[in-house]
Amino acid sequence: MNDRTESLLLALPGLLLLVLAFFMPIGQMLILSVSGPDGVTLSHFVRFLSDPFYLGILWRTVRLSLVITIICAAIGFPLAYIMARVGPKLRLWLVVMVILPLMTSVVVRTFGWMVLLSRSGMIPEMLRDMGLVGRSFALMQTEAAIVIGMVQVLLPFMTLSILGVITRIDGRLEEAARTMGCSFLQSFRTVVLPLALPGIVAGSLLCFTLSASSFVTPNLLGGTRIQVLAASIYKSVTQTPDWPFAAAQAVILFAGILLVLVPYIKMTGPKDG
Amino acid sequence: MKIAIKTSVITLSALMGTTAFAQDNTLTINSFGGAYEDAHRACIITPFEEETGATVNVVTAYSADAFAQLRAQKDAPQFDVLHFSGGQEIVGASEGLLAPIDAAKLTNAADVYDFAKANLAGGEGPAYSIAAIGLVYNTEALPEAPSKWTDLLNPDYSEHLVLTDISNGYGMLGFLMLNQVQGGDLSNIQPGLDAVTQLLDAGAIIVSTSPEIQQEFAQNDAWIAPYASDYAYTLRKAELPSGFAQGAEGTPASYITANLVAGRPNMDLALKFIDKEISPAAQECFAEALRYSPTNSKAELSSEVAADIAYGEDGVKGLIRFDPATIEANRTAWVEAWNKTIAR
Repeated sequence: MNDRTESLLLALPGLLLLVLAFFMPIGQMLILSVSGPDGVTLSHFVRFLSDPFYLGILWRTVRLSLVITIICAAIGFPLAYIMARVGPKLRLWLVVMVILPLMTSVVVRTFGWMVLLSRSGMIPEMLRDMGLVGRSFALMQTEAAIVIGMVQVLLPFMTLSILGVITRIDGRLEEAARTMGCSFLQSFRTVVLPLALPGIVAGSLLCFTLSASSFVTPNLLGGTRIQVLAASIYKSVTQTPDWPFAAAQAVILFAGILLVLVPYIKMTGPKDG
Repeated sequence: MKIAIKTSVITLSALMGTTAFAQDNTLTINSFGGAYEDAHRACIITPFEEETGATVNVVTAYSADAFAQLRAQKDAPQFDVLHFSGGQEIVGASEGLLAPIDAAKLTNAADVYDFAKANLAGGEGPAYSIAAIGLVYNTEALPEAPSKWTDLLNPDYSEHLVLTDISNGYGMLGFLMLNQVQGGDLSNIQPGLDAVTQLLDAGAIIVSTSPEIQQEFAQNDAWIAPYASDYAYTLRKAELPSGFAQGAEGTPASYITANLVAGRPNMDLALKFIDKEISPAAQECFAEALRYSPTNSKAELSSEVAADIAYGEDGVKGLIRFDPATIEANRTAWVEAWNKTIAR
């Protein structure tokens, strides 16, 4: 047994799993999405792309994912910066705090939000008591609820991606900028931000793809009336049940996410490998 | 090794022997799981086993699944009695998968309301209980009980109204009734969709599963929801003040039927089982446990139970059955139209 067969053998379980659990379902989905009663057809795609209702769902998915990503970046970047600059002990605690939400099940976490946001939940009740909103005010089943829930889930991904990059930035660069007369904010903007960009891009990409394909949180917090693409796919499978149309929607989601990956590879590829 | 093989062969043949022997006195049926199956066992299955000495194997399968199995097992059916709540017996009977039932062989058939045994000779089994769709309401919040479906459109209620998605069977029936009182019918659901749009704009909430209805009543100040009679009871058990009212315009109903599968060896025993299901005692027990309406006119209920359901000649007179075959044929199109209507 030479080295090559040995390494092949070692890689075999992983490869098998990849083929069985990833390529086969994806291939099947691709086939399903173009299959109709009389052979190959593109009618499912035409139906999706020519119907304002489904285009609206697609647009909402993209729009919400963008908003969620931007908010995550806006919160995650300063947080990561602080985490990188404090002592190791405090940093450990901050990291634990940031990843703590990932340790509970997504369903449990989302139910927590449901309790807080529902019509008689804590937050609307408080706003009502302060006289800021009307009697029927609720945060549940709104896009705001989806954004709140998703930002909480995705913040760790963004923060940790940026943290990894910022800790590698040489602290002396900042000191140099300050001695040359930059204010704190100026050095932040001209030195730290550009150097941390790969981390921000990587984190944004994670956030965007995860929120575009997320199902549980939008479905529970947004309700049946605010549909995102993943929920629409689910409905096509379970309610109508129209598998080819569901597959076509899944392909559109998949293709959309691939499209986002391309500029990323171009942007970061040559410099950082 | 040899011994092990020998033993297993012996055990296997012994097992096969018992199955072959047991088959003479065994029925295989489906039930719907959870509280329903518990009541099914307590009210029907266990007493039946005790009376006849037969063994009843219960397979948990919802109507659609059970029907899919029936179709798949066309050449060698495995069930003796199948229970359906979605009108599957109509298709099953027309495909010859279900056997005609001779009413003379059911001692209780004469007491069953006519509508519940309309096509026994055609193979559609009798309805043994009925889930009636009406108005489930909060008895403390509403000054007086609602009495008609158009009460749902009362602007005072809109912010406290809970509608159920039509992907849910009861949600579908409630919606079709709303459609009907608004002037629509099964060939035109637009009036119903328009009413839903109007209600949603006024603040109504849509949920997709029944536990969410309970949540809305418990936490979100819901007052009224078109839903099944048994659910008011479920809410009351959760200590929420709730009642059930039938709409004056009619009460859409979901029939739960017991059907005789064709081509099985034990059809006489199966008929006895079906006969048991339509007996007054079994139906009283079912109504008591789950608040489903009996179909046997001889079933006697306490006033407390009767208040929760459609009961007696008058109660069942207004029952409407929307044609399940038409619903099935239109389901995909309706669900899509509904989703588009409710989307924000």
